[in-house]
Amino acid sequence: MTAQPHEGEQPSGYSADAERELAVHRRLMRFGDQESRVAPVWSEKGTTVAAVEDHLASLWTLAGDDGARVTEKGLPHARASVLNLIVTVPDEPLAVRVVSTLLGLGYRHPSRAIVLVANPDRDGPWLDASVSAHCHAIHDADEQVCYEEVILTVRGEPAEHLDGIVASLLIHDLPTLVWWPGDPPFADAIFDQLVEMGDRLILDSSDFGDLLLGFRRLSTLRRRSGIADLAWKRLGWWQELTAQFFDAPRFRRYLPNLNRVIIRYALPSSKGNQKAPAKDDPMPGVSSPLAQAILYASWIANRLEWKRHSTVRPLEAGSLALSLEGRYAMVELRIEGVPTDTVLDGELLSVRLRARGETGAAEFIIDRDGEEAVIASNADGMTAQLRRARMELPSESELLASTMVAGQHDAVYEGAVRAAGVFLAAARASEEAG
Amino acid sequence: MTTTSQPTADLSGDGVAKTIANPLREGLRAGRMPEPCTMVICGATGDLTERKLGPALYNLLLGGFLPPEFTVVGFARREMTDDQFRDHLRQGVDRYSRNRPIKESIWDSFAQGIVYHRGDFDDAKAWESLRSALDRIDRDRGTAGNRLFYLAVPPTLYPEIVRQLGDAGLAPSGEDRPDQRKGWSRVIVEKPFGFDLTSARRLNQELRHVFAEEQIYRIDHYLGKETVQNLAVFRFGNGLFEPIWNRRYIDSVQITVAETVGVEGRGEFYDQTGALRDIIQNHALQLLAMFAMEPPVEFRAQDLRDEKLKVLRAVHEMSTDDVAANVVRGQYVSGWVEGVKMPSYRDEPEIAPDSDTETYVALRLEIGSWRWAGVPFYVRTGKALSTRATEVAVQFKSPPLALFNRAGVPQIEPNILAIRIQPDEGILIRFGAKVPGQGMQIRSVNMDFRYGFSFAVDSPDAYETLLLDAMVGDASLFTRDDEVERAWAILDPVLKAWEAGAGGPVHFYGAGSWGPPAADELLARDGRSWRKP
Repeated sequence: MTAQPHEGEQPSGYSADAERELAVHRRLMRFGDQESRVAPVWSEKGTTVAAVEDHLASLWTLAGDDGARVTEKGLPHARASVLNLIVTVPDEPLAVRVVSTLLGLGYRHPSRAIVLVANPDRDGPWLDASVSAHCHAIHDADEQVCYEEVILTVRGEPAEHLDGIVASLLIHDLPTLVWWPGDPPFADAIFDQLVEMGDRLILDSSDFGDLLLGFRRLSTLRRRSGIADLAWKRLGWWQELTAQFFDAPRFRRYLPNLNRVIIRYALPSSKGNQKAPAKDDPMPGVSSPLAQAILYASWIANRLEWKRHSTVRPLEAGSLALSLEGRYAMVELRIEGVPTDTVLDGELLSVRLRARGETGAAEFIIDRDGEEAVIASNADGMTAQLRRARMELPSESELLASTMVAGQHDAVYEGAVRAAGVFLAAARASEEAG
Repeated sequence: MTTTSQPTADLSGDGVAKTIANPLREGLRAGRMPEPCTMVICGATGDLTERKLGPALYNLLLGGFLPPEFTVVGFARREMTDDQFRDHLRQGVDRYSRNRPIKESIWDSFAQGIVYHRGDFDDAKAWESLRSALDRIDRDRGTAGNRLFYLAVPPTLYPEIVRQLGDAGLAPSGEDRPDQRKGWSRVIVEKPFGFDLTSARRLNQELRHVFAEEQIYRIDHYLGKETVQNLAVFRFGNGLFEPIWNRRYIDSVQITVAETVGVEGRGEFYDQTGALRDIIQNHALQLLAMFAMEPPVEFRAQDLRDEKLKVLRAVHEMSTDDVAANVVRGQYVSGWVEGVKMPSYRDEPEIAPDSDTETYVALRLEIGSWRWAGVPFYVRTGKALSTRATEVAVQFKSPPLALFNRAGVPQIEPNILAIRIQPDEGILIRFGAKVPGQGMQIRSVNMDFRYGFSFAVDSPDAYETLLLDAMVGDASLFTRDDEVERAWAILDPVLKAWEAGAGGPVHFYGAGSWGPPAADELLARDGRSWRKP
């Protein structure tokens, strides 16, 4: 066992890869800052998978030796029995984000998180590892539920075979989720290896470098248990509030007669993006701010079986307009990017749905106001109803936690992704043709 | 409890056909969204509204489970303005909601749909005026004639309120309404459902005189708890347990509802009620029925309640001699509970100094069914006990051959499966394992599933689940009239024996203990002992 390394170590003289690795490592060691550790942080350079396995196996035996009161219910602390989480960390900003997100999970933490830093191009010991275990109080706080974080830095050729390293470190008979923060290397063999190990792949389409390519790849991934997209999860309140308009039978008849949908979402401010990530900001700006807006539009279109008809305005400066074929009417779909500093890039700002009705046009409006929504409807000749509802901006931890609860394929999401690919391709094709 | 998304068929059977499903609802978190409706709380200024109903409604709203048109009408005798009633509800949310602090603007928006209606429950004009107010709300807020009446009042007021609801034309649903306007009416009734079999029958008749049984939702909040619902999933969602869920493998069953608290300011009520009526008649017998029932044909209200009723019908009714032999009642005397000195029950406020009311009761019940014949069900509840715990524990039969019972090797403890309802919701299986080392030593070990360790989500409060169920018309977790009456029929001989002084004495037990020694003897006679959960 070695002392905790690296803090304050000078990177000068190292290669760029080595400096990157050091920076990542420094960030990841923040797991060791946990106040409620069960056992001292264990770390070892040039170690083996067997040594990591041995340490993990001994962890809870050691924890039980502290004279704690053992009851029929067991020790006052016990390891969570929820799931394994495999996380990849390619660079320092993502290391910051991953650490912050996992720490933010609190009692919703996976039983064991395995954080992988892969450096196939670096020489040196092929495996460094550190293991920490920490606990959080649950319910009435007289008991604690505990978790483990395993950080593995893999170098050289073994970094191209991560599945073999990770497999023996998973807790048996628990579901395994693979979280790939950032822009996933869809064409990379490592991506396929790890995705194949998991029961569910978690990613964030807002992070995709190429949204259309990403959606197309997601549509063709044949996973046992599907995909959780954090951008989709962010739409949860928008979808709930939109569906609520049409839960009332008297408004439901407007659904087939929707003829205009306008979606506005946040783009970086032209004054300079105040939301740009600070050094320790775990939420960097998003690569594809269009993701949420196009997913929302595709969700409605797919649920109502609208078909793409023609491109009215190709994708330009984050905005586009399509003409869709609805059941009884043509539908004008407009997605408009609005520069703003008020919310994170990509968040929806407003949604306006319009329908034809027997007594004139009906309008259904949701506007974001901070962490609340202002909701209005004007239909049946009734005066517009105005109310406020909760619309929190969930943290990445909250989003990640929500993906851990659901377990099955999300057919509604999969339908929306397929539609998003079609709409985006149409908007792009027109753009290219134009 | 229904797992379907927006219902397309009539679940409730209360005569109101549901409309076609909302295609946008599929896959969303709030898979069940009630139709727009008004909830009328009769007795709205009381403790239940402040502690439970207000917080539950606010939490449902916050979770996005209430339709935008949802409206609350408080109805009570006290003079109060709309704003004062809103403040009353708000104070309850501030103090008792699991989501605090309150979100001001969300509350303000919700408060627009909260109004107060003053009136005496026996004043027909007050009900006429309430009906006009509800019609106005239907027009202004689009609540479509759907009304849920919650009787948050002492049971003595139920008959009058129900009669007035009928006279005011507020009870019928849909086509049964005089003006044939659409919409449903439902009524939620709080326990106790009667005081004995006779009064329960009378109450049911009074309710059914005005409402159809499908419109009546008798709330037993225990059934809204996640673990109680999980009892059904545990049994019928797994292939592992149901084959051994019978007399061939199960030796006995213990149902415990233990409280550490005393009467907590409810002295007058409790002294007239006692543990048998307060806990056994409803919570404990419902747990027994959920535990012992046969698989329902479908997981629907009608089928579930049919199966629970069959179990209750199969429970043997006791003779007076049986009561003396199979029932132990107790009353706590001064003692220490969780480090606090507790006075004797008879020294509590509002308690008669010579009260014989039982604060503890233990029963040995038998279910005369093919599945359970010969398996004793030990049921106990008590106040001022050592630990707060509600559980159903199964003791399995020992293996047919005592292979390891050689000289010097202690008897292997029987296998236990304990389903913990509260606190520490979860399931524990206890079995023997070899102690590592030379020789053959066997010790019992636990396999322990706990909700908190396996599900990283908060459970909703039971009232949230049940209110939402009533709004969507799912009566699965509510008790039906025949269940209630059968539960009273099981216990009526006990009450009568006690009244006649023939059911055995009241045994005293120290607060902070596990009940009177006589309760231990009840099991010791069968060669068994109580668990200490």
